Amino acid sequence: MSRIIPLIISAALLISSCRHGVNPPVAEQSMDDSLNVAGRLKLEKVAGATRATVTNPWQNSTGKELVWYLVQRDSAVPGDVSEDQIIRVPVSRIVCMSVTHIAMLQALDAGNVIAGISGSSLVYDSVIREGISSGRIRDVGYEGNLNRELIISLNPDVLMAYGVADPSAGSTARLADAGIKVFYNADYLEEHPLARCEWLRLFGILTGKVQMADSIVASVSEAYRELTALVRGSAGRRPAVLLGSPWEDVWYISPGNSYIGRLIEDAGGKYIYGEMTGAHSVPLSVESVFRKAEEADIWINPGTADRLSDIVATDPRMASLHPFREGQVWNNRRRITSGDGNDYWESAVVRPDLLLMDLVSIIHPELLPGFVQYYYRRLE
Amino acid sequence: MIAGRTRIVIAIAGLSLLILLLFIADLLLGSTHMNFADVMGSLFGKGDPGDEIIVMQFRLPKAITAVLAGAAMSVSGLLMQTLFRNPLAGPDVLGVSSGAGLGVALTLLTLTPLITLPAGSLLAGWGLILAAWAGAGVVMLIIMAVSARMRDIMTVLIVGLLLASAISAVVSLLQYFSNEAMLRTYVIWTMGNLGSISYPQIRALSLATAVGLVIAFIMVKPLNAMLMGETFSRTVGVKMQRTRIILLASASILAGSVTAFCGPLAFIGVAVPHVARLIFGTTDHRTLMPGAALCGAVIMLLSDIISNAPGGGHIIPVNTVTSLVGIPVVLWIIIGKRGLGRKF
Repeated sequence: MSRIIPLIISAALLISSCRHGVNPPVAEQSMDDSLNVAGRLKLEKVAGATRATVTNPWQNSTGKELVWYLVQRDSAVPGDVSEDQIIRVPVSRIVCMSVTHIAMLQALDAGNVIAGISGSSLVYDSVIREGISSGRIRDVGYEGNLNRELIISLNPDVLMAYGVADPSAGSTARLADAGIKVFYNADYLEEHPLARCEWLRLFGILTGKVQMADSIVASVSEAYRELTALVRGSAGRRPAVLLGSPWEDVWYISPGNSYIGRLIEDAGGKYIYGEMTGAHSVPLSVESVFRKAEEADIWINPGTADRLSDIVATDPRMASLHPFREGQVWNNRRRITSGDGNDYWESAVVRPDLLLMDLVSIIHPELLPGFVQYYYRRLE
Repeated sequence: MIAGRTRIVIAIAGLSLLILLLFIADLLLGSTHMNFADVMGSLFGKGDPGDEIIVMQFRLPKAITAVLAGAAMSVSGLLMQTLFRNPLAGPDVLGVSSGAGLGVALTLLTLTPLITLPAGSLLAGWGLILAAWAGAGVVMLIIMAVSARMRDIMTVLIVGLLLASAISAVVSLLQYFSNEAMLRTYVIWTMGNLGSISYPQIRALSLATAVGLVIAFIMVKPLNAMLMGETFSRTVGVKMQRTRIILLASASILAGSVTAFCGPLAFIGVAVPHVARLIFGTTDHRTLMPGAALCGAVIMLLSDIISNAPGGGHIIPVNTVTSLVGIPVVLWIIIGKRGLGRKF
């Protein structure tokens, strides 16, 4: 039910956007429609199947391509395709290694195909958590500590994994040797929030809900672009944004071209490390970040802090930062479980438009008066 | 060769001056640019407010911690080497650092912290430190209990090594069952850090260091006697069992406290006593004890300065600096001197 609220909000946004002209009916958006977001996933119709190509499926995998053929259960296998590259769809059992995969299946009302997940304490979705406690969904452990026998006994049609580095030596690779179809999902590497959301189309094909997936992706993209246009049009001052939190004497800084860096820019903020580019976050000294943070107006994602006093307890020096003194500290922890689950890492992958709305309302509250954040909370 | 007494005076004076210079250099050199006038102005409350925060809240506590940690770890290592009459002994052989690591691992890698503190209490921000202290303390008590029962000091050494290995195994197990984010926080802790300590914490570290150092300085005579062997020590009236326990307590308080506040600082405890012996040309603990403390402070300050070397706000973890810079230096000294000598 939690998913209805964001849909209502985005529907409202879509309706308000209609005054610009005819809104293209979502059904007309075909799967091949390019959204101008250079993502790592390419889906193409080929004879009797959909070919899914994942480019650069893990970090430092330049030029690497993984190809899968998603074939209807009753269709013939296309000509020269090896059985190892075929996933029969719609699938009835999936093991998900990331909460983003869970979120995508849940967005398609297809959570019932989830047979196993990794790291049950990280799950936010209450339906999935019920499934875990009732034993319907099994926890298969973490990468490096995978219960491979359990995974094999679950007999999944596909294991939705992700590769942090080349996984050829890892335990998921051994599962592939054992005949499990291991799909390396690269959604978490996508820098553009809409490119990340695009991965929903893959789950649409896997679960036989292509239309639904396409329509969600189209409406979310539309809402995201409308909002970006609104922010650009307002062309006010771009408040400076500080991101993250220190740990001991280092501060891991996400580069400007990261997912969150992009969201801050699109929300009309100026990320203080926006000019830094790269594929990883970089450890900087707390001193240098502190110095740069003096110019910040807003501080977002300060680790696991739920109150301003949590920040002071970790590092009392942070209390003298400008956004702290102004009470402009916001964390993405409005929707969390008593465990480690945080919906920000989960459903937001399918709702970048909603995440962007949150950030716009934080950075430019004048553009969305009265808006109550969905993922974010101001720290007291 | 300069005569013994003059050499000692020159070395002590030289090292003290070096500490002063490096301390000032450590305040001057950080990841953000600041000139001498800015730093001095900030120190005496006459600087730009932004500079003042950087100097007073970031650089000064870090430099003080470097001095305390360097001195404490070096003296702790010296005590261990004499006690076990082993040039490879260091604060970590007793498992005290591992014990502290276990306390931290239990807090960071499990969802139920070893010590839960009420939010907003006076002790907020002390959870990790208290957990590390508790871990180090438990190991220290075990070692002391073993030492009180065993006549042979080598048995204590072996028990310490076994305990350290067992604790490492438990920590590995905890790491194995942790997710990436938890692992990263723990790994960063193991790399050592001098820069996240507040003034109240520095006061606690100073107190613990002072207690450990005072005990160590009181014990210089029995330590010197120990160099001559146990039989000799007994004939000159050293009560071996009691002396050992006092020395173990002192070494553990020093190493355990530094590890609790700064993480497991590698290398310093083993290497610095050797450097001190070579500089002072003596094995007399009356000289060696302050000598090791001064050398330790110099090396930690130097390491902290080097950790800022990459520039642009990038830093190198202090543990990698002490090892990568310190090991070649010690190798050079040892090879230059053709060995460490055999006076343990």
